[in-house]
Amino acid sequence: MKKVLKYVITIALILVILFFVQKLFMPKYVSDVTEGRLIAEYYEEEMDHDILFVGDCEVYENFVPAMLWTDYGYNSYIRGSAQQLIWQSYYLLEDALRYEKPDVVIFNVLSMKYNEPQKEAYNRMSIEGMRWSKSKVDNIYASMTSKEHFIEYVFPLLRYHSRWSELEEEDIEHIFDTDVRFHNGYYMRVDAKPAKDVPGGEILGNYQFGDNSYKYLDMMTKLCKENDIELILIKAPSLYPYWYPEWEEQMEEYAKKNDLRYINFLELQDECNLNWDEDTYDAGLHLNYYGGQKVTKYLGDYIKNEIGLKSRRGDEKLEKIWNEKLELFNSDLENKLRELEGE
Amino acid sequence: MKKLAVTLMGVLMCVSLAACGNSNDSKVISGDVNNTTVNAQNNNVENEGQEASGSSVSGYVFSFNGTDVVVDADAEPIIASLGEPTSYYENPSCAFNGLDKIYTYSSFEVDTYPQNEKDLISGVILKDDTVSTKEGICIGQSNQNMIDTYGEEYTNEDGMCVYRKDNMKLCFILDGDQIVSIKYLSTVLDEE
Repeated sequence: MKKVLKYVITIALILVILFFVQKLFMPKYVSDVTEGRLIAEYYEEEMDHDILFVGDCEVYENFVPAMLWTDYGYNSYIRGSAQQLIWQSYYLLEDALRYEKPDVVIFNVLSMKYNEPQKEAYNRMSIEGMRWSKSKVDNIYASMTSKEHFIEYVFPLLRYHSRWSELEEEDIEHIFDTDVRFHNGYYMRVDAKPAKDVPGGEILGNYQFGDNSYKYLDMMTKLCKENDIELILIKAPSLYPYWYPEWEEQMEEYAKKNDLRYINFLELQDECNLNWDEDTYDAGLHLNYYGGQKVTKYLGDYIKNEIGLKSRRGDEKLEKIWNEKLELFNSDLENKLRELEGE
Repeated sequence: MKKLAVTLMGVLMCVSLAACGNSNDSKVISGDVNNTTVNAQNNNVENEGQEASGSSVSGYVFSFNGTDVVVDADAEPIIASLGEPTSYYENPSCAFNGLDKIYTYSSFEVDTYPQNEKDLISGVILKDDTVSTKEGICIGQSNQNMIDTYGEEYTNEDGMCVYRKDNMKLCFILDGDQIVSIKYLSTVLDEE
């Protein structure tokens, strides 16, 4: 009996050590590439959202959930991540539906252009933060490039062991850090860099979106219909990467065929009053807070007037949650403005 | 207790061995995952980049006014030699540090990607028939001209006729029988 106990303790100790070492070696996304924390932050939420965004940086850098609450009473969250591919959006949505059923799901269609897995680093940021579930497993299999291995997602230590020579104080300091750094998935920027000399589209050999992209768009459409969710397809107003007329045609056709709403914000720049000298922080790729407010206003009005989603202002629990969130939001905004003035 | 200590030491040794023994490990996610780099390929690329800035080059090469624009070579001396572009655009990647840069000249475009604090050439795109490949093919010529010059050993990839050589590919886009676009592209960034 004593011998068995010894073995159990030994194994437990080994597992604990391996767990700590793994945690230590994994990237913390604190001082740099903070977007790597986006996916995991969702699980810190009270999951009772009316609107859920899924998609790439064109959602988490262009729409402002705080404003959808203050101006429309909509509790929204952005499950976005850098270069989020369409199958990742699908599985993140499927994962979210294990916890909640939003009324509206908004998907940004730029990722339709990627028919195959792209880059491991982006995969890691879109997948590692997910809680383990069938959705996560399916997401890994759908996303892996030919050089990746499933086991390395199960035991990230196998992947990150070579970080041993790069470990910094921050790796120890933030080893179990789950602090929320974004605002319902929104990445706030207040600086501006005018959009000038934005390249047009180069000639492509093939403008047709791939079968794999369509497969997941079909799956997303079906999932939303089965759950009585209004799926809205959007193309954010980002000027680059170039959005081809041939792509636009395919999305318009898909939306029509599947009875979905589709908003192309590139065509609504004037209506949104976007000023590309002031409303972008990186020359047209993403909007800053000011540009984000403008397109969020259009979206909020659209959801209110076209879909008739009811405001939840007055819901005591939500009011309390948002009061705290807004305090953080405003303080972050002030800090960023102060930093900008100091530059 | 001895056994326990030995086991624990074994575990720690395994971890440290794993940490050191990555000579064949194809990828390293560095630091805060600033980028996923493919070591084996990058080593080649760095070497080629150095060679390219010198005299020895590999792959198909675009040449303009005596300047060789070599894919995966250090962009700095090449851009300096090409002169002032008609326009320039910086494209920060989502999340990661560094900028992809686009230098547009009157009849071609040079794209770069960041690597180890340098910018390397990721691609050259020919825009009109005032420039041609070193082998003499330009936009407007026929499919047969392409085959006569580069042979039939090309693959069809995403609507393009692709000739691969070393770590780069030379791509032709045809509209019917006519060449409408010519691109020199690096394959280093292709992870798939």
